[in-house]
Amino acid sequence: MSAQKKKAFQIEAFKHRVVVDPKYAEKTWKILEHAIHEIYNHNASGLSFEELYRNAYNMVLHKFGEKLYSGLVTTMTSHLKQISNSIEAAQGGLFLDELNRKWAEHNKAMQMIRDILMYMDRTYIPNTRKTPVHELGLNLWRDVVIHSYAIQSRLQAILLENVRRERSGEVIDRGLMRSITKMLMDLGPSVYQDDFEKHFLEVSADFYRLESQEFIESCDCGEYLKKAERRLNEEIERVSHYLDARSEVKITNVVEKEMIENHMHRLVQMENSGLVNMIADEKYEDLGRMYCLFRRVPNGLVLVRDVMTSYIRDTGKQLVTDPERLKYPVDFVQHLLDLKDKYDKIITSAFSNDKTFQNALNSSFEYFMNLNSRSPEFISLFVDDKLRKGLRGVTEEDVELVLDKVMMLFRYLQEKDIFEKYYKQHLAKRLLSGKTVSEDAERSLIVKLKTECGYQFTSKLEGMFTDMKTSQDTMQGFHASQDADIADGPMLSVQVLTTGSWPTQPITTCNLPAEILGICEKFRNYYLGTHTGRRLSWQTNMGTADLKATFGKGQKHELNVSTYQMCVLMLFNNADRLSYKEIEQATGIPASDLKRCLQSLACVKGKNVLRKEPMSKDIADTDTFLFNDKFTSKFFKVKIGTVAAQRESEPENQETRQRVEEDRKPQIEAAIVRIMKARRVLDHNNVVAEVTKQLQSRFLPNPVVIKKRIESLIEREFLERDKGLLAQELDNVLKLDFQLLNGEVSRQLLLLLSAGNREEYCEVVRNSIAVGFLGYRRSLVTAISGIGA
Amino acid sequence: MKKEDTVKLISSEGMEFVIDKEAAMVSQTIRNMLTSPGGFAEAEHGVVTFPEINAVILEKICQYFYWSLQYSRGKETEFHIEPELTLELMMAANYLHT
Repeated sequence: MSAQKKKAFQIEAFKHRVVVDPKYAEKTWKILEHAIHEIYNHNASGLSFEELYRNAYNMVLHKFGEKLYSGLVTTMTSHLKQISNSIEAAQGGLFLDELNRKWAEHNKAMQMIRDILMYMDRTYIPNTRKTPVHELGLNLWRDVVIHSYAIQSRLQAILLENVRRERSGEVIDRGLMRSITKMLMDLGPSVYQDDFEKHFLEVSADFYRLESQEFIESCDCGEYLKKAERRLNEEIERVSHYLDARSEVKITNVVEKEMIENHMHRLVQMENSGLVNMIADEKYEDLGRMYCLFRRVPNGLVLVRDVMTSYIRDTGKQLVTDPERLKYPVDFVQHLLDLKDKYDKIITSAFSNDKTFQNALNSSFEYFMNLNSRSPEFISLFVDDKLRKGLRGVTEEDVELVLDKVMMLFRYLQEKDIFEKYYKQHLAKRLLSGKTVSEDAERSLIVKLKTECGYQFTSKLEGMFTDMKTSQDTMQGFHASQDADIADGPMLSVQVLTTGSWPTQPITTCNLPAEILGICEKFRNYYLGTHTGRRLSWQTNMGTADLKATFGKGQKHELNVSTYQMCVLMLFNNADRLSYKEIEQATGIPASDLKRCLQSLACVKGKNVLRKEPMSKDIADTDTFLFNDKFTSKFFKVKIGTVAAQRESEPENQETRQRVEEDRKPQIEAAIVRIMKARRVLDHNNVVAEVTKQLQSRFLPNPVVIKKRIESLIEREFLERDKGLLAQELDNVLKLDFQLLNGEVSRQLLLLLSAGNREEYCEVVRNSIAVGFLGYRRSLVTAISGIGA
Repeated sequence: MKKEDTVKLISSEGMEFVIDKEAAMVSQTIRNMLTSPGGFAEAEHGVVTFPEINAVILEKICQYFYWSLQYSRGKETEFHIEPELTLELMMAANYLHT
């Protein structure tokens, strides 16, 4: 800038009027007051904003802010009083309407006033810390209108009345309700809560308390739940339409409490329609509803779960102790599977797969399945049945499904080793009679068992399969090695079984017919030729034979019989009639087996290749048997009863159980030794706990048995009782100093030590020191002083 | 320029300045005037009178409005103010809340 310009710089005088006029403030205020009146009377269009703004501006600038503010308060208050009166005057239904309208107008007026008084809002108010115009408006409205004596209670009453009407099914003006509640919220959350929400919740609680009482007297569980659900949804909808969102949680809590929580127990226990009935009748929808509703309430699900658990346990217990059921093991197990399916379905479809329910189900099943000690046997029988005939013609996936389900039941068993024993027996019978439906299915099940229980469990089972395969190869070799002329004689097929893998069978006597003996010898020579150092023994009680028989009228049949039966029948090649005693002597078969095989030969209708005199059902020692010339059959091949796996009779069951108990002893001992090797020193309770933990995948060991085993191990000097540390130490030291000691004293000491008698031991030692026997070894002295302490 | 988008600002001497509404809204006061729900005269006619602001200042103010819009759009230039105008300009700015 040039110097010339600088000269021209002048500070001009303020263009604003200096306050000469003392009444200036008064005048200005009057203008503004007038304007406010006009605004409240909806006459603002004629006003100039700028003028009003300027006036307010000037007032504040000239330090008349105070006057302006207080003037504003007074004016507004008087207007609001007028408004309040007019609202009060409104009748009945128009009350809310009127209130709403006036509120809207007030808001508009507020905004206009705030705009013109913007300058004051900006400068004067922050300086003096007064309430800003907008807030002022709200507060005044609240104090003058809402909290005016007449209006407050009336407003509350009408609002609540509306809600009640809607609950009874009437339609109300929701938009209006919305505006009113919004107004309350704008006035401040505490206004909303105190003036409305609090009372709303109280009234609602009363309402629902009454209603739930009514319902529960008149409806059954399912209906009640439906109604409760409906009310709950209704309330949620109500909130979304015309209440503050934060009320939702509060009102739902109220409904839940009154309708559900208070009646929880009664609903669940309700006769003929309670939880138990729902489960029994598979009412998925009702159950699902119950689950959703009870989930909202503390301890709701706990109650449902408990009731369900006890129900499952009771029905399960009934099932496993029902003697009728237990006669048919296959059905029994099928029934268990069906039951499990049913509950699974309930849990997935109605209880949305809740894990806690799943766990409850598992523990219940475990509980009642193990109540019946024969469960493992029955499951094995079930599998046996399936693998013999049940799975014939079933697709691979379905086979897997069935086996997986069986595995599920298997997991619940506590005594898995019993299952293993039975399974081995049944498998052996299946393999040897060639009766298994699908080898793939068998192997698949073995794999599943292996995954579940480890290699040990299934090693023997796999051994059985290997034996079968090896035998096939052996037979091929045998036949290849023989001369052609044996084709005239009987055809032999041998399965060579490794003794360890197969269930132990007692060796039975049986005199094989001469023709058979010959070829058996040939096989024996062949086998021992290739495998020296092995011993073969024929298991005649497990074999089968196919006989070609010609009957009276020349009809030929092929009979499929057991080895014992073959021996019996071959006798009839040389005689037409034989007495029981003669048969017994000739064959050498043990009595009970012989009776059974004769029974199936002579007493079964349609398969009686022998005739018995007298024609009674049971075999007596005095019976005579004749070859039945008149035997007929539709089929060429006739099968005479091979012994299928039966459920054991009581004595057999006892026997098996005993054997299992015996087997368990070494297992427990092995576990104890393993643990002690690792831990070195351990107290009794911990040993028991560790052993149980290690063995629980196979069976649940009895603590008494464990104690006995420990004692047995101590006797055999695998373990020893700990003598206590100090005594131990002395023990060691003493052994070192042996040569120093007098023989007698040391012997005494050692005796005392091994008897665990510490006090006397100390006595002797002390005496010895006194006598000077033990010398002055420093270590001994410290050790002894340790005891003395 | 369309009629709807403009406002007329009139100074104390009666000089009229027609500017975009957008520019005028830079001033909070004018913005309130025009958007107030009351139906004030200004909003109806799109005319605002400032009997206490003279033409020179008002002109400067209008220039400022446009400069402000430019600046906020990224064009960062300088706004030059003549020193003798400063005082009155400040008072007007205070009044207009700009």
